[in-house]
Amino acid sequence: MPGIIAAFHELDSAVHAIEDLRRNRFNEITVYTPTPRHELEHALEPPPSRVRIFTLVGGLAGATFGYWIAIWASRYWPIVVGNKPIASWVPYTIFGFEVMVLVGSLSTVFALFALSRVPRLTMTVGYDPRFSGGHFGVWVMTTSERAREVGDLLRKHGAVEVRHEA
Amino acid sequence: MATAAPQYPQSGQRPNIPSATVRLPAVADYEQVDREIIGTLRPTLGWFALLGTAVLCLLIGISAWMYQIYSGLGVAGYHPPVMWGVYIITFVFWVGIGHAGTLISAILYLFRAGFRTSIYRCAEAMTVFAVMTAGLFPILHLGRPWKFFWLIPYPNWRLIWPQFKSPLVWDVFAILTYLTVSSTFLYIGLIPDIATLRDRETNPVRKAIYAALSLGWRNSDREWRHFTRAYLFLAAFSTPLVLSVHSVVSFDFAMALVPGWHATIFPPYFVAGAIFSGLGMVFTIIIPIRKYFRLQHYVTLNDLDAAAKMCLFTSMVVGLAYLTEFQVAWMSGNKFEQEYFWNRVFGQWAWAAWIMLICNMVLPLSLFSQRLRRNPSWLFILSLFINLGMWFERFVIVVPSLSHEFEPWQWGSYAPTWVDYSILLGSFGWFFMWFLLFIKQLPVMAIAELKEVVPPKMRHAHGAAPHPGGSDPQVTGGEGTGGRAPRTA
Repeated sequence: MPGIIAAFHELDSAVHAIEDLRRNRFNEITVYTPTPRHELEHALEPPPSRVRIFTLVGGLAGATFGYWIAIWASRYWPIVVGNKPIASWVPYTIFGFEVMVLVGSLSTVFALFALSRVPRLTMTVGYDPRFSGGHFGVWVMTTSERAREVGDLLRKHGAVEVRHEA
Repeated sequence: MATAAPQYPQSGQRPNIPSATVRLPAVADYEQVDREIIGTLRPTLGWFALLGTAVLCLLIGISAWMYQIYSGLGVAGYHPPVMWGVYIITFVFWVGIGHAGTLISAILYLFRAGFRTSIYRCAEAMTVFAVMTAGLFPILHLGRPWKFFWLIPYPNWRLIWPQFKSPLVWDVFAILTYLTVSSTFLYIGLIPDIATLRDRETNPVRKAIYAALSLGWRNSDREWRHFTRAYLFLAAFSTPLVLSVHSVVSFDFAMALVPGWHATIFPPYFVAGAIFSGLGMVFTIIIPIRKYFRLQHYVTLNDLDAAAKMCLFTSMVVGLAYLTEFQVAWMSGNKFEQEYFWNRVFGQWAWAAWIMLICNMVLPLSLFSQRLRRNPSWLFILSLFINLGMWFERFVIVVPSLSHEFEPWQWGSYAPTWVDYSILLGSFGWFFMWFLLFIKQLPVMAIAELKEVVPPKMRHAHGAAPHPGGSDPQVTGGEGTGGRAPRTA
């Protein structure tokens, strides 16, 4: 879908523009920012990230596997050491813990990539290298009929550049 | 080289700065952060000289190792009863060095300690390279190093599995997990900065490499939302992990019935020592970097002051552990323990113990002085003493215990050979080679996080915003996410 990309040099201008866009029922907004800012989050009001679900499931799966591999291998090749039980849960907590951290962390990274849709082979239409520098970018998906309205609104709030991207 | 550094306040009279409100007064805007941090990536003659020295040290170490593989472990100075020597000492030393990186990047992140912002990237890289170095030593210590993978549990034709009650297998799991998680943590934090490099790079080859490494990162609100959560969870995982790893390393000793080793104090004692030694190495690295790249206005005296306070605290914990060991031996009524601890400070290895005590307990007390905490030259010199003292701490743990066990007829001595020293030198070469390569390919400071501390440009001053839309925008200048923790989720 075509849209409008605007570059802002000031944070408050970008925030005001987003608020005005949402007030005018433009909800397909993507914001580019060199660093995460609370102000932009407040303006966008995004849903909670689902990364935590992956973290929880990965951590639980890892802990289960860590205990299981130690207990299973000990029973498969039973050798009594130090008069301790074949499957000694106390030292095996080390494996439960370490594998929980390992799998939980890797699941978290997987979730970050999957939910953020990276790796990405091509840059999204509208992205500008300035958005990793000192500028804030606001991308609005809109129909060509409302493009002029969006452009005017963004300029009113101080966008240093407004472009129509197909 | 970096561009000329602007003037920054060198005030020596700001005693207790709340670290959560750290600001960088000499950094005007985001563009300055990009310009100055990316400016550090240009190679210089001095850098090539240092890299050449590191590679030379590494080659010496590799040569010695090849000689050892050819001749057998006997050339390494092992002599019954001392069958653990420089390799295990250096293994524990490098694992310990790695701990401060995770402390600074993860634990201080969770505690919202603002002074970590400018130093954590270096500390994280240091962690990864230190653990990479440490991981080599158990392999170097093997008679048949090419069989090291037998410690990893996998289905195999031998139909045998590792002994899961062995501390050596615990080590494998702990160290590999630590290496994987700390590398991941480092890389995830780097992605936005690599994207910045990608967008600024003009050389097409380097640009393509940065584009691949940045995974197409665009700094969109969706990416940041998930990034901040993922970063928080990785920090939350890393925090107990860092405590567990050196506890597990300490079990290598504490599980044995050797005088001086068989003590329940070992896990906290090792963890405190590891963080202390890592902070020493952070000073050794960060102080030359801030001077060489003229980044004093990023790593301010306030930051060094705060880190020095942590160093002082961990030194006192370590000192308390040293003294507690003596107290426990004295009160235990166990004559072997008592004899061992008497021997530690007055016996054959007394010189090593006194180096340890002076470097780790006495000299860091100087950090009670605010003037010295804010003196980079002193911090650098002190850090060298700390590195030395912490290596000798591990020497004191390993060698005197093994050489002075229960029966006098068992007692022996130990002298490292040129092979041990060469491999020790090689480990420093390996570590610094990676670190030097890192600082010229990737930013030494976290660009995106520094920008959180720098106030963004505002069209209207706070409190006087003529908002065209009419509502209160609730925009407050200079309010970052306070360390990447979003409001939602």
